[in-house]
Amino acid sequence: MLLAYRLALASPRVTARGVEASEFAVEAGRHGVQAVPAIVVDDRYAWAGAVPETAFVERVLAARA
Amino acid sequence: MTLGDREQDAIRSVLAGLEREVALTLELGPTATPVTLLAAGGREIDSNAVAREIVESVCALSERVSLSVTERDVPGPWPRTTIAPGLEYLGMPAGYELTTLVHGIVEAGRAAPSVSELTRERLQELQHDVKVDVYVTPT
Repeated sequence: MLLAYRLALASPRVTARGVEASEFAVEAGRHGVQAVPAIVVDDRYAWAGAVPETAFVERVLAARA
Repeated sequence: MTLGDREQDAIRSVLAGLEREVALTLELGPTATPVTLLAAGGREIDSNAVAREIVESVCALSERVSLSVTERDVPGPWPRTTIAPGLEYLGMPAGYELTTLVHGIVEAGRAAPSVSELTRERLQELQHDVKVDVYVTPT
């Protein structure tokens, strides 16, 4: 979660949002979330699990492309 | 859900390192479905009230952190805590996610974002806005 927040602080183009999956189970289900942490970029499931900063930013950029 | 003395001391210590002021907003409103908290024996709880109690308690632990609470009367993704522009948390920041809230405040309170130069350069290549949602759980 913190990496997403750091990216949002580093770029005005990034909005980062933590979503409590059990409270927002409908949204989690709609995005195919089955494990946490799960990352959804622009409303599309991207990946699950923690990754280092370099991989995180590359995956976000790739998901956005 | 009230913070214990040890938690308060730990959070107060972490927030003492803030390099600038952080202004949070907490939006509350009608929720689509009741929230059942397993840790509370499976009973339904008022997520707005719990979120408010937690966020108010954390913000009260530093003079550099302020909080504005707004009550909405329309359906939405509530409760929503905005830590800084572009940094949000939907739901109750309880359990492990209390750490997310506190460290989100710490990140927002830094003089400069704590990312590598490479990350900064890569982000400058973004031509469009991007929304990153991280689904988490408190346990």
